[in-house]
Amino acid sequence: MVDLSFIIGGPQGGGVESAGQIALKAFVVKGYNVLGTREYHSNIMGAHSYYHVRVRDGPARALKIPVDLVVAIDAESVLTHISDVGKGGYLVYDLDSVDVDATKIASMEPSLRSRLRRFFADMNMKPTVGSAVKVLEERGGRTVGLPLKDMLKKVSDTLGTPIASIAKTVNVIGLTAGLYTQGVSLQHIVKAVEAQFGRRPKILAPNITAARVAFEFMEQNIGNIPELPDGPHRGRVRMIASGNEVVAMAKVVGGLTFETFYPITPASDEAFYIEENKYVELGELSEKLELDKIPIAVLQTEDEIAAINMAIGAAAAGARAATSTSGPGFSLMNEAISMAVEMEIPVVITLWMRAGPSTGIATRTGQQDLLHAIFSGHGDTPKILIASGDHVEAFYDAIKAFNWAEEFQTPVVHLLDKYIASTITVLDEWDLDPHKVSISRGLRIENPPEDYRRYEVTDNGISPFAPLGSAPMLFSSLEHDEHGFASEDPVDREAMVEKRLRKFETIARSIPEEEKIALHGDPSARVTIVSFGSTKQAILSAMEELEREGVRVKFLQLRILSPFPSKAVMDAVGDPGLLISVEANAIGQLALLLRAYTGIEVKHFIQKLNARPLYDVEVVYGVKRILGEGARRVVVSGGA
Amino acid sequence: MRVLGGWWLAVVRRWADYKTEAWVQWCPGCGDFGILAAIHRALAELDIDPRRLVVVGGIGCSSRSVYYVRGSNVHVIHGRSIPVASGVKLANPELEVVVVGGDGDILGIGGGHFTALGRRNIDLTILLFDNSVYGLTKGQAGPTLPVGVKTKALPYPNVQDRVNPLILAYASGYTFIARGYAYHVNQLKDLIKAAIEHRGSAFIDILQPCPTYNDTMTREWYEERIYYLNEEDPLWDPRIRGPEDHVKIPRIVEKMLEFGDRIPLGILYQDLTKTTLEDRFEQQMPGYRKAPPALRPISVNGRAPVHPFKVFKDKLIET
Repeated sequence: MVDLSFIIGGPQGGGVESAGQIALKAFVVKGYNVLGTREYHSNIMGAHSYYHVRVRDGPARALKIPVDLVVAIDAESVLTHISDVGKGGYLVYDLDSVDVDATKIASMEPSLRSRLRRFFADMNMKPTVGSAVKVLEERGGRTVGLPLKDMLKKVSDTLGTPIASIAKTVNVIGLTAGLYTQGVSLQHIVKAVEAQFGRRPKILAPNITAARVAFEFMEQNIGNIPELPDGPHRGRVRMIASGNEVVAMAKVVGGLTFETFYPITPASDEAFYIEENKYVELGELSEKLELDKIPIAVLQTEDEIAAINMAIGAAAAGARAATSTSGPGFSLMNEAISMAVEMEIPVVITLWMRAGPSTGIATRTGQQDLLHAIFSGHGDTPKILIASGDHVEAFYDAIKAFNWAEEFQTPVVHLLDKYIASTITVLDEWDLDPHKVSISRGLRIENPPEDYRRYEVTDNGISPFAPLGSAPMLFSSLEHDEHGFASEDPVDREAMVEKRLRKFETIARSIPEEEKIALHGDPSARVTIVSFGSTKQAILSAMEELEREGVRVKFLQLRILSPFPSKAVMDAVGDPGLLISVEANAIGQLALLLRAYTGIEVKHFIQKLNARPLYDVEVVYGVKRILGEGARRVVVSGGA
Repeated sequence: MRVLGGWWLAVVRRWADYKTEAWVQWCPGCGDFGILAAIHRALAELDIDPRRLVVVGGIGCSSRSVYYVRGSNVHVIHGRSIPVASGVKLANPELEVVVVGGDGDILGIGGGHFTALGRRNIDLTILLFDNSVYGLTKGQAGPTLPVGVKTKALPYPNVQDRVNPLILAYASGYTFIARGYAYHVNQLKDLIKAAIEHRGSAFIDILQPCPTYNDTMTREWYEERIYYLNEEDPLWDPRIRGPEDHVKIPRIVEKMLEFGDRIPLGILYQDLTKTTLEDRFEQQMPGYRKAPPALRPISVNGRAPVHPFKVFKDKLIET
């Protein structure tokens, strides 16, 4: 069984992300499943960032620490990740950095500097790279010091170009050396480098030379390492994509015609990828429209308020419209979301959560916006909220969100987070089959009668939808009568409140139970983990480990959180033995919802609050502490 | 005159065809009445099909016009009429989209959107009902009320100065800028017609007394000051047809800045050289107008038209 984890660290802007992607590609080409995520500061250049990868022959569900290999492109990376190297693991570092002292690294967080100073002072050592290497070796780690300056010179001599022009290849040099320790062949590394830079020949050539120089160095200095065998997933075309990209893809094939955004991490990459693909060939639809390429209107707006309001306008005109944002932008959208409920507008808001409150940590993950999203908007403003647990769910959910928005003429929040946004995974053709969900637009009439009533009161609360421009009509954000004329009449008012309420009940009835929750594991297990969103795969991975250790756990994953699926949840929980809520927020937001809607009280929590992704080992640890010591709240703190 | 399908007789529309059954709930003597009449007449003279007309309003007395003009209209939240209208227009560029609102709605809470629209030059018409006060909330100072003015609702004179809507529109990139007066229905009607017919973002600052709350900038106050540019100077021609017309700019800006003892009315600026956002979309994506976001089909037999592996080939890798 192959189960390999590694970290590639370096300064932001130093090619860490490219190196990570090359590594992922090398292992995918080799026939493995991969998962990789980027952890980075809110900074353009210089701050520490790292790529964290897991490689498995089975499903690569979650990230893992400690790792088998740390490739440290700079001194800060050695010192930051020294305790992430597992038993017998490798550290690849720059020999020229051994004298660098943590206290002299300007980009390092001051708190980490102090922790390192204390850590090394306890051993009467200076907080230098050299000390870190020594400590690691004493603990049984294996270290490979690279003479990076000499190696760069060799690359430059081979190509006959100045060192400055190829200095950026340090990432590929470090990565190649690291991959060598794991038995990846030069051929696979070269193939991955080609896949990364193939379209940019000027960058490709020096990087391939860099890979060769590094591989040669390792052969001469480390000696033979048995080659990693081929993985089971060979001989087919696969896809490597981030969560941002998968959602963008779903929107494009799922009928998006209008997308607005205001730049915000970690949502922007989704909009960028849609923009990149706003004019593409869409199979049979292109034939039908006699257009080689089909246009999607994508617009960067002046703020998130404009983004949501513009999407609302487009939706009222009949477009399949969406906007995407993160917590701060979603806060600005609140008033318009309330309007979309009152005006009964089909609009999708893709909400990529990050660590708050306020600007918080803009580039790190969290699950703190669940309650905010469900209860966004003033007035009684019920809306649909669906939370995706991984890339595959995110793909289908994005299409379903559109369908529901249009069928029920309501805002739909598609809830994701930074971890899914920037995590890259490998997908097969059958993972993203858009024919698994239909595309439905609800009760839409193109030629409404002259006396069309936009808010016709119906039994199920749904009025036929006619787009603006098809008849004289009124969409109104004021309370209104059936025609949409503003009305403060008490009878009209009550009728409209009741109509919207009935619509929400129709929504609750119409969405199939199996789409509202997912129950994983043995339904008769006495221990139930409840969670939502991107914790899914870490929990599933932890369950595999717990099962090996004889701990039976089931996992109730909430998929639709509004309307809250009370009955499905109560049925799934059954006799509540021991309930554990796993959440990346401090107040236990999911547990609060459970209490409010089902009366079930969750008494045990595993919480991740440091804005880093949840690791499977942390779930295992948390469950054991709760079962063993009856701990009420276990805060897990992995990640650099 | 237009023939509208088989079931509709060919008619010439009259201004009364654009009235609705809603009670017009403005105070007696309100300038809004004059503006509404001018809108009705302009629409009739342009013979715009009410089904293809989208009037978008925010919050305030004037924004209520969405209920008083027969069209396919949207009444939105405070300050957001411009982005909603932009969404409507970009989703279906065939529609005639007109924004109505007061100075509080469009230049106060919605000021950011007002400037952003100029950069886009979307083919919209913005009718600013400019009375310098917040009427519905009982007379607070609006963004066009000059500093030091104490209207009857204000306990102290205004401590914030007025924004110049024309200069703001010019700096933002609007390609049609005019000023009208609420009680001059005929002249205003002509300005509105010109604004609607202009391709690009058109803005009319309509001076409008609020007889209930603005007891300073009254009908008399305005009528002592206003004059028409083309009456004073029959050769007044604010149109920019090419670089050779840029010599006109200093005089145009001078007239935009004039607001005191004399207040000019009429078309102050019209740039005929700039493309609209819709043009830019069509240029980047030929077919945008033929298959606009609001109207084009999105599926084939109720299914997605294509598998992502067929579209996003940059993400594929052979193993």
